[in-house]
Amino acid sequence: MNTILSVSNLTKKFGTFTAVDDVSFQLNKGEILGLLGPNGAGKTTTIHMLLGTTTLTSGEILYFGKNLMTRRGEIMGEINFASAFNTLQGRVTVKENLLVYSKLYDVNKPLARIRDLLSSFEIAHLENERYWNLSAGQRTRVNLVKCLLNSPKIILLDEPTASLDPDISDKLLNLIDKLRSEQKVSILYTSHDMSEVSRICDRVVFMDHGKVIAEDTPLGLTKRIQNANIRLTFDAKKEHVGKILAGSRYKHEFLGNNIVSVTVKEKQIPAVIFVLSNADVWLTDIEVKKPTLEDFFLHIARKKKKQ
Amino acid sequence: MSVRRIVAILQEEWYITISSLEVILDIFYYSFMALILYGFTTLFIAGKTNAVFAYYLITGLILWEIVRVAQYTLSVGALWEVWARNLTNIFISPITVSEYLTAQMLSGAFKSLFVFFAVSLLAIPLFHFNIFTLGLLNLTLFFINLVIFSWFTGIAILGLIFRFGTRVQALAWGLIILFQPLSASFFPVSVLPGPLQKIAHSLPTTYVFEAARNALSNPAVDWKAHSIAFALNIVYFSLSVLFFNYMFAKSKETGQFVKNEG
Repeated sequence: MNTILSVSNLTKKFGTFTAVDDVSFQLNKGEILGLLGPNGAGKTTTIHMLLGTTTLTSGEILYFGKNLMTRRGEIMGEINFASAFNTLQGRVTVKENLLVYSKLYDVNKPLARIRDLLSSFEIAHLENERYWNLSAGQRTRVNLVKCLLNSPKIILLDEPTASLDPDISDKLLNLIDKLRSEQKVSILYTSHDMSEVSRICDRVVFMDHGKVIAEDTPLGLTKRIQNANIRLTFDAKKEHVGKILAGSRYKHEFLGNNIVSVTVKEKQIPAVIFVLSNADVWLTDIEVKKPTLEDFFLHIARKKKKQ
Repeated sequence: MSVRRIVAILQEEWYITISSLEVILDIFYYSFMALILYGFTTLFIAGKTNAVFAYYLITGLILWEIVRVAQYTLSVGALWEVWARNLTNIFISPITVSEYLTAQMLSGAFKSLFVFFAVSLLAIPLFHFNIFTLGLLNLTLFFINLVIFSWFTGIAILGLIFRFGTRVQALAWGLIILFQPLSASFFPVSVLPGPLQKIAHSLPTTYVFEAARNALSNPAVDWKAHSIAFALNIVYFSLSVLFFNYMFAKSKETGQFVKNEG
């Protein structure tokens, strides 16, 4: 793999509080890397250190093998950033905003590039619209056009789908996927939406309390949650079913008079069904819910709450 | 230093200016109304006393607008980025801090030059006062010194805004007023009490306004006054750049830079 962003022992302290604690990870060429974690995990601080808008306490950030601290100007022309929380000048039109950024990034034939990108995001008709008149979805797409003006090799996306409706989110995710597959752009992606992270990210760095606590593929992370959930619909007396499950020490919860949810290790699923069938409980429906990335996220978040 | 990136910020400033009623009111309308007010006051006083003393007022006003407009433009320029939550977008581009400051300084100088000509030309037919009788060389030197002074104050205020955020944004349009009486912009320095005269003599603007008042009677160039003002400006400007760099670095270190966008 060709590493184009290397983060080593990144630490940020605000007084006595350590927001990011000895974080290291790599982003490879053409890869989408998800940066996940509960609120306060240190994701945003990490992103801002990667952008140079927050200084590091210690550690090293290398883009294309060049140190961000010493070769910022060269690096910034090769990367870009879009966030749901940053906007462009509201009273200025879309085209004018993008012309300013074209100059800042020294874009060749800026007007043609702007129009080309606006068309690919299906917002060419908004060229002369003031930015503040746009809907949230339109703004996000204009932000992404700004982000792509300089044909960046690395894009940092901070919750780009926040406040978008599902249809626009879906289009955006398709576009991000297309960018990676067609242009080999590398993307560092933060989001709270686990389904979209599972969908587009090749790898995930999971942060909590400023530290990287897991780094794996989305599937690899979900495998770390060993418990699965089975929802059983039965034709028998609730008390009878409860007695059997309690006798076998299965953690369960009745969701109604004929539905029970049982939480067990994945490999114990057949045993649960077997023990109920053996006791003449007729199971009319069996639904197995395997752990998802969201379960991993909730597992970490709940652990944090308990501490 | 990239001229292209400086032009990009100037271009953005232009787009914001032509689309913002606030900027038009704060810069052009305010200057025009101040001219009307001080113009009539000048006419009234000129009819009652020595006309040269009366012209101190309108001369001081026209020259002060250079300081006010240039400083306002420089400080508020960055606030537009903060208010629009566009600050990060600008500073993650390849632009350097010195390019950004240069662009804002030039923007302030252009706007103040425009306002200077507009109010000066309007004063001729409206109040029979022609500031160009002070001499082109004098006016050029006044302009340069006043603009550098406005850069010094503007950059220092900008540093405070980066460091402490929008809670100190009122300084962008409020702090400069402090220097108006201290620079003896409308009256001779001798009018000020002793301790304030000492402060006045430490400000470059005081020498500009004194020289301008003297030029109303004798338009010869007062090289001594211009030189002192210029030397003081260089010292203050250098200090303000150091101060800004320190505040900007602190802003990134404490996380305030990111917090500035809400």
